[in-house]
Amino acid sequence: MRKTQRLSKVGRKEQRTAYLCLIPAFIGLIFLTYVPLIEVFVISFFNWRGPTTPTWAGIENYVRLFTTDPYFKVSIKVTVIYSLLSVIGGLIYSLIIALLLNRKVPARGFFRALFYLPYVLPAAAVYIGWSWLYEPNFGLFNYILKLCGVQENVLFLNDSKMVLPSLALVAVWLSGNLIVIFLAGLQNVPRVYHEAAEMDGANAWQRFRHVTIPSMTPIIFYNLLMSLITNMQVVTPSMALTQGGPNKQTMFITYLMYRYAFKSNQIGYACAISFVFFIIIAIFTGIVFSTSKTWVYYEGGED
Amino acid sequence: MKMKKTLKKALALLLCLATLCSFAACSPADNDETTGTTSGSSENETTAGGETEKVELTYSFWGSEEEAANTQEVLDIFNASQDRIHVTAVAIPWETYMEKLNTMATGGNLPDCGLMTEAGVLQFAEMGLLSDVSSMYADAAEKPLASATYTYQGKEIAYASANNSLVMYYNKDMFDAAGLPYPPANAADAWTWEEFVDVAKKLTLDANGNNAASPDFDPNNIVQYGCMIENLTWQLEVWCRSNGSGFYNDDGTEVTINEKAATDAIQAIADLYLVHHVAPLSTGLTDDGVQRSLIAKTCAMTTNGAWNIGTCLSAAREEGLNYGIAVLPYMKEKVTISTGGPNVVFSQTEHPEEAMEFIKWYSSEENSWDNLIAAGIWMPTTSGYYNDEALTEKWLKNPAYPEYEEAKAVLCDYVRDYAVPTSWYYTNNTTDFNTLLGSILGDVWTGNKTAEQVINENYDSLVAAFDGMGA
Repeated sequence: MRKTQRLSKVGRKEQRTAYLCLIPAFIGLIFLTYVPLIEVFVISFFNWRGPTTPTWAGIENYVRLFTTDPYFKVSIKVTVIYSLLSVIGGLIYSLIIALLLNRKVPARGFFRALFYLPYVLPAAAVYIGWSWLYEPNFGLFNYILKLCGVQENVLFLNDSKMVLPSLALVAVWLSGNLIVIFLAGLQNVPRVYHEAAEMDGANAWQRFRHVTIPSMTPIIFYNLLMSLITNMQVVTPSMALTQGGPNKQTMFITYLMYRYAFKSNQIGYACAISFVFFIIIAIFTGIVFSTSKTWVYYEGGED
Repeated sequence: MKMKKTLKKALALLLCLATLCSFAACSPADNDETTGTTSGSSENETTAGGETEKVELTYSFWGSEEEAANTQEVLDIFNASQDRIHVTAVAIPWETYMEKLNTMATGGNLPDCGLMTEAGVLQFAEMGLLSDVSSMYADAAEKPLASATYTYQGKEIAYASANNSLVMYYNKDMFDAAGLPYPPANAADAWTWEEFVDVAKKLTLDANGNNAASPDFDPNNIVQYGCMIENLTWQLEVWCRSNGSGFYNDDGTEVTINEKAATDAIQAIADLYLVHHVAPLSTGLTDDGVQRSLIAKTCAMTTNGAWNIGTCLSAAREEGLNYGIAVLPYMKEKVTISTGGPNVVFSQTEHPEEAMEFIKWYSSEENSWDNLIAAGIWMPTTSGYYNDEALTEKWLKNPAYPEYEEAKAVLCDYVRDYAVPTSWYYTNNTTDFNTLLGSILGDVWTGNKTAEQVINENYDSLVAAFDGMGA
């Protein structure tokens, strides 16, 4: 407090320059984030079919959303299930791969590139490629399962019970960026702790459990949050492969919103969905943040 | 020190400017679509003596930039044929065609005229975005077929530029190998559903060479399937109609897919895989049925639109696929459905008369002859080609088509006598309806539920989609 009151001339000038430099960021934030957010909220109270004139609808859109909408409830359910599967799967998978890649394995650089590669591939191509692997009649996975003695064809993408785990598996495979961040985190785990633990006779698992994991919690937290938000906004597999089916099981919220807005021209209604979805993501983020205090350790201690 | 500070300030200013510029770039400055003129048109302008200003029109269609060049070539024929109107082609990718048009309509920036998706016609008509073109064929000798005419509230609102009916294709070699007669090309001899299933069983073979009618048949080791009825949602309508029902009632004012005849028909398609083991599992998600079945030589028979003759079958025949064409089998009534996108005039245009003149010229069969009709991708729409044998020969005696006798019996006679328009010719919100239907039927194809179950469970939602409350 006292510091700001007693800013020197140089300090004030620096502050002015800082604000000047921040203007572009603020403009972006205001015009590309906050103004559209408010606009979406306002439009959600209108009946607006695009080319027609908007008419005031009050909370009609929200009422319809929670009562008669044939997709919305199942949409939230499948989005949450998909996100949980792919976030948990993705975190475990990438932590394991990162641990492996952090050791002195031969051709480490090659493997690092190999596991990161899926992340940079064009998304639509990835899903089309996986759909061939998943193909029910002649696909590779079914061929392998046949060799292992499974007689009946497994309908990975066509069975409403299989489609979410199948798509989550693709998302797990795609989480190369998490591996890179975990790797960076692993390099920062202080060696001294490991050495101290080793001296005390801790075995590899104990060291992993009580040294590596606690030191990694800030990174895990960051990855969890980012991957949760990204996966909740899933839309590509529905657009590229399943069109929301089978039996609505891939009608993810973002895809549903896209369909209402751009295919069916119900823009007001789509805005209502967007806003509810915004609140849902905010709630999930809030939950993650509020629990983080109990399990994330920062080395600097309490700030 | 001072130098450094000025540098900082300059940099900050530069950043601000850059941001402003990037915003300016976002502003709507794309009105230059209409200004594209070719060298040919400027010549015309001089011949016109510069007395009257030329009307500039834009025509949108789905296709790549490359196709845009081809389309523009055709448009230039029109541009050169008279000196009042100049039309420029605007290409929009197929996947986002309606999204783009919807957005353009919202912004009041629609092209003057354009090609329209089938399901979009009624949607646009209901929002008042289509210009009245009912006078287009008022004094013409040949009108488009009734099965190629879009109607809204009983009024003719658009005419399909292409006609495409559902027919059956089959692999002649597979029939020969099984010693079976070919499926009938004449509607009079059309197979009943039971006859069709029986033939399909004889054509389904397991790895040991047993067919599906044999007691030793092993359904887990099928190497050749008898048939694949295309189950893209919109194509299912033909089977509901064939069984005496439909997705909607006859004037498209009520959802009747919950009728037993309709759900039975859909279940019959699912049972080909589930009960009879004569068809591969297909869940109606991807539009490559003919490639997956007939061309991949995994199935002996398949049903699909007539466009496949041009888009894939003629090329496959050159590579050795010996295929034939037949009428669809039927459940209670002999019927097929026709579809095809129309060229429309958008109501936001300032030149409806000129746009209609162009659309009428452009929609005539001659303009799509070489690339589309003779190639087997489009069927003609005007009645002359279906009634005048000389015109029929001109159309079907092309190397792209199968044998003339077969092709005439199916594509001309069967279509003329038994084709009805697909429901999106007179019903709105079919996209949303079909999306929901396709999604819930996912559990029917895999056998988790019956067609009757899922349609009754979701009937209210289907009606909501039909009423414009779907996604």
